[in-house]
Amino acid sequence: MFLNSVVLILQEILEAALLISVLLVFMRLRCIRPFWIIAAIAAGSAGAYFFALQMASISEWFDYMGQEAVNASIQLTMLLILATFVAQNPGATHSTSKPQKDLRIIICTLLLVALSLTREGSEVFIYISGVIGHPSHAQPTLTGSGIGAGIGISAGVLIYYGLLGLPTKWIALSGLLLLSLVGGNMTSQATQLLTQADWLPYSKILWDSSDGLPENSILGHLLYALFGYEATPSLLQVFSYIAGMLLIYLCAHLGSRKVSFSTDQKTTDHNASVNR
Amino acid sequence: MKSIRVFLLASILATLTLFNFVAALQGYQSSLLEAEKLFDSQLLQTAKLIANLYVDNTTSNLNYLSTHAYQVWHDDQLLAASNNAQSEAITDRYPGFGYANFGSYRWRTLAYFDPNHDNWIIAAERTDLRFILAESVITKAVLPIVLGIPLVGLLIWLIISRGLKPLRDLSDQLKNKQVNDLTPVETPELKDELSQVVQSINVMIRRLGTTLEREKRFTSDAAHELRTPISALKIQLHNLEEDIPVDNESFAQLQSGVERMQHLIEQLLSLYRSTPDEFSSHFTSVNLYQLAQDVIAEQHLIFEGKNQTLALEGSNNVIEGDAFTLSTLLQNLLSNANKYTPTGGSILVSVDENNNHICLKVEDSGPGIAPSDYGKVLERFQRLNNKSEVIATQGCGLGLTIVQHIADLHHADLSISPSSFASGTAFSILFKKAPNPDEKRI
Repeated sequence: MFLNSVVLILQEILEAALLISVLLVFMRLRCIRPFWIIAAIAAGSAGAYFFALQMASISEWFDYMGQEAVNASIQLTMLLILATFVAQNPGATHSTSKPQKDLRIIICTLLLVALSLTREGSEVFIYISGVIGHPSHAQPTLTGSGIGAGIGISAGVLIYYGLLGLPTKWIALSGLLLLSLVGGNMTSQATQLLTQADWLPYSKILWDSSDGLPENSILGHLLYALFGYEATPSLLQVFSYIAGMLLIYLCAHLGSRKVSFSTDQKTTDHNASVNR
Repeated sequence: MKSIRVFLLASILATLTLFNFVAALQGYQSSLLEAEKLFDSQLLQTAKLIANLYVDNTTSNLNYLSTHAYQVWHDDQLLAASNNAQSEAITDRYPGFGYANFGSYRWRTLAYFDPNHDNWIIAAERTDLRFILAESVITKAVLPIVLGIPLVGLLIWLIISRGLKPLRDLSDQLKNKQVNDLTPVETPELKDELSQVVQSINVMIRRLGTTLEREKRFTSDAAHELRTPISALKIQLHNLEEDIPVDNESFAQLQSGVERMQHLIEQLLSLYRSTPDEFSSHFTSVNLYQLAQDVIAEQHLIFEGKNQTLALEGSNNVIEGDAFTLSTLLQNLLSNANKYTPTGGSILVSVDENNNHICLKVEDSGPGIAPSDYGKVLERFQRLNNKSEVIATQGCGLGLTIVQHIADLHHADLSISPSSFASGTAFSILFKKAPNPDEKRI
């Protein structure tokens, strides 16, 4: 019970903590006050509670494939919001940004935090409420959950300060790299869920690294939470992982090009007015 | 990292938690392996005990604990077994530990050969119960690490607060320093890390004091050294006036140049006196309406010279301020209005109360200023490039800068707007009204 609790809670918390810490770093770069995050955390926690309560009826949808379908759609929605977020060029400093972009960044951050907590939190809630009913399991479960949550939150805090401690020009780049890995993880998980629901075909296993790094080892679980590690990934999963990463990269690239284009245009307009 | 304290607390606590919890996990796994060995050794002792009990024939069938099972085999004959054991062999008769499934549970098994009697003792123990027992013991040891984290966080917070105290004291001391206090910073508890900072601050304060002293001496010297020769020059010019024809253009230009030089020096000295750091005069109650009357009375000749109409409106209104600098403020505004208002134009001075504020306004009927130039007129040595004839008067571009400074010293707001005349500019200064003497007592 203890180890299961550690692994499950750590996996869920770490996934959310990585996303939230990177989003907070970008908010800091844009000089946006992070108190909005508190509202998103409250909304996400409430969402997790209601989602967990409705899970029994949700899982009956689509011929008992409701849970997979809903979780996959949450992952894909988060991927689209993440793509919109990086397209706003969140790494640009505040002085070169527009207020409308700040508003879009705030909205995307709030939605991502709330949806992430709803999904991960509901699983934590279902697990703890299911296990805690047995008196002999309560103590190991709660202790394990505390350790899992502690490691996950601590890792999030260290990622946040670690990114902020980098030289300024590397902060945004590293943040975007982490977000592209998160995006790949989201797509890969959505593909896996849709394959489980038989909505996507099974494809051949590309490799098997279970001997070197088993999925059920602590490191395997950590890497799954951080980057969606699978010991036996299918061709479709690998393809969707790369597609998710590429989507985030392309949106970030387009967002930064748009800013440099508008800055160039402003400079040209300014020069023209000076010459007049 | 906006707060050093939050950064230190969060990063230290996160690092401690991460390493402690990972160590606890590692400890849990190692303890579980040790517990497994302990349980196995216990199972071996049990098997040996059963072997001895059977030989002594004290019991044929033990009513053993439901958590354990045993069988005693001689060749293929089951000699004895616990109630919960099956009739077939629980496990193969090879010496050593293994696992088996029966009775809806998974069991840890041990096949032990008794060489004295050629019997096989097979002992088994439920794995789920072994695991629960081991886990309950180990998690009891891990629990204080989890529960201790909030306490560790509180201790780290207190330690960081104590460590940052000298920095906070230094910051408070610098924040509470008066603008004219140039004494060195002293900290009773100077830490090594801060001593260099405090030394640098004190060196800077000393340099600032020296610079200010030099500036003060220069102003004082300039007042003496420049005013005296200019006064002498003016006397000489006055004497020359009788010998030189009135329409001599060069003489008129010389006179104008000397006037201009005197004005420039007076304005420079006024600007220095009204710089916030040097403004040390104590505020008193000043009746702005009366002050305006006095200044107008002093300056009415320059308005008469240009045949301008000068009017004063309003009522007695009192503010807290410095009478001398306020006179300078009004003189500059009136002088400005006089210069930029054409001959025969009008100037209106008003002192009105407006929502607990007193508004001193000077309006003229001059050519006015474009709103885009409002900011420029307050800059030092700035004179707007207006082609109007009224510009051809003396001025050095410091008057409105001085007005802005004096307004700032009185925490008043200076604003520029079009005047109520057909054309022209209005300069308004909004002062806070002096508190009523009765209210002061309360």
